[in-house]
Amino acid sequence: MSKLSLQNAMLSYEQLALTPSRKDAIPEELEDELRRLGCHFIQSAGILLKLPQVAMATAQVLFQRFYYVASMMAFSIRDIGMGALFLAAKVQESPRKIRDLINVYHWLISKYQNTVYEPMEYFGTEFYAMKNALVIAEMQILKRLGFNVHVQLPYGLMVNYLKVLELTEHEKIPQLAWGYLNDSLRTNIYVCYQPPTIACAVIYLAARICGVKLPTQPPWWELFEAELEDIL
Amino acid sequence: MSHLTEDDSTIERKYVKEKKIGEGTYAVVYQGKEAATGRKVAIKKIKLGQSQAGVNGIELSAIREVKSLQELQHPNIIELIDIFSHKTNLNLVLEYLDSDLEMIIKDKNIVFMSSDIKSWMLMTLRGLDHCHKNWILHRDMKPNNLLVGKDGQLKLADFGLARDFGDPMAKNMSTQVVTRWYRAPELLFGAKQYGYAVDMWSVGCIFAELMLRVPYLPGETDIEQLDLMFRALGTPTEEDWPGFNELTQMKFQKYPKTPLKALFTAAGNDTLDLLEKMLNYDPNKRLTTREALNHPYFRNKPRPTPPGKLPKQEKSNHLNEPVSPSSSSASPY
Repeated sequence: MSKLSLQNAMLSYEQLALTPSRKDAIPEELEDELRRLGCHFIQSAGILLKLPQVAMATAQVLFQRFYYVASMMAFSIRDIGMGALFLAAKVQESPRKIRDLINVYHWLISKYQNTVYEPMEYFGTEFYAMKNALVIAEMQILKRLGFNVHVQLPYGLMVNYLKVLELTEHEKIPQLAWGYLNDSLRTNIYVCYQPPTIACAVIYLAARICGVKLPTQPPWWELFEAELEDIL
Repeated sequence: MSHLTEDDSTIERKYVKEKKIGEGTYAVVYQGKEAATGRKVAIKKIKLGQSQAGVNGIELSAIREVKSLQELQHPNIIELIDIFSHKTNLNLVLEYLDSDLEMIIKDKNIVFMSSDIKSWMLMTLRGLDHCHKNWILHRDMKPNNLLVGKDGQLKLADFGLARDFGDPMAKNMSTQVVTRWYRAPELLFGAKQYGYAVDMWSVGCIFAELMLRVPYLPGETDIEQLDLMFRALGTPTEEDWPGFNELTQMKFQKYPKTPLKALFTAAGNDTLDLLEKMLNYDPNKRLTTREALNHPYFRNKPRPTPPGKLPKQEKSNHLNEPVSPSSSSASPY
């Protein structure tokens, strides 16, 4: 226990390249697509459940981490997505009812499949099956991630960095950078880089898109513990 | 991610459960030992949330406990040694301590010297200071949750209600925290946002209890709790607690302020000054852990008793003790 670090766990190149799903012969493109879809469900469900963005972000990071230790063959992205969101909501002190979460997922999936939405029966077998899967998924996430529910997020850091750079009043950059952070949750960067680097990267990108020059003498990112090579 | 390589059953095999020592609302606590070293441990088996409709996922309190204890490592805070899951149960392996402050206070065979009380207060405040430094509120400080080891070291336990604070976005924090007798006035009035001061109020009550050997403000209901508090410390005025009049529509009987000296006859002036500042009605004026630790009380004589020389119980009788009404779990773990 004493060796537990509160920093986000970083993965090696081998771990990134040879995921458990890959070992089960799931093609890389399919895995990437399923990761994005799983995160999309988490984000949409979180919005419908009126959860704070930190809860969705935490859930997505847990979701991403999970599939570096377990295969999509064994665990469906629906179950793990629900489990991660349910767990993250508790971690971020905004718990949601299990039934609400299941209903939201049920609706999202039926919408995704373009079928006519029919609410589940209150005591129906379908509901119990989903609930069971969710509870198991939650435990599996905890277990396989070594009960480490700490996720460091770059949102707060980014806002502070923007303040230091005097960009908070800019009409586009803060919103753009925030959006990039949300989008980045669907990629693997949270298991590749620490939050300061991610925060710098989104600011760099946002400033570049808006054509705003940032100080290079000395380079601004050095102030925030990031390396140029990583940002790019 | 060192844990990933270690299978759960290997961790499970490292520990042997011996006997059940307590049961709370969300957990059963067993005494056990680490097979390899013989070190005594407490194994807290967390039940999955039960409701009419079956299981409900992992209890929020279990998550809170794991989350806080992973973050906190301090000689005066209970150590989380390992975690493993067995089927659908979550098991926390914690340091084992065979006594707690409540048992010691209730044991009439033990005589407390003022230096002993100082030592316990010092250890409590050091543990709490570490929590607050890491932006964690304990929210259930009471003698029953202050465990005492064979070596006399006191450790904060039961983090099932603990949560982060300091986040200005955190609105609507629950007021139903902290066992009633140790609950701060702002909680009783239903404050939705509060801070470290709620823990400090509890420490003040514990301090008083150590001197009196009985709970200081044992209210049976929330209203009675306030009444007892006002009787003991005087009904707060707008001057004592700016904004007090806006807190509630209720009218309280006006009790005069009686000096603490009247009840705590044997206590020195530095002791009473510290107690009074811990039990300040205004949460903004109540001492912080840092201020309390810097109070002259801890520098004045007598020196605090070294933990190894503190009085302890002859034999432990963990199960037979009646426990105070509890906000989360009756078990000390």
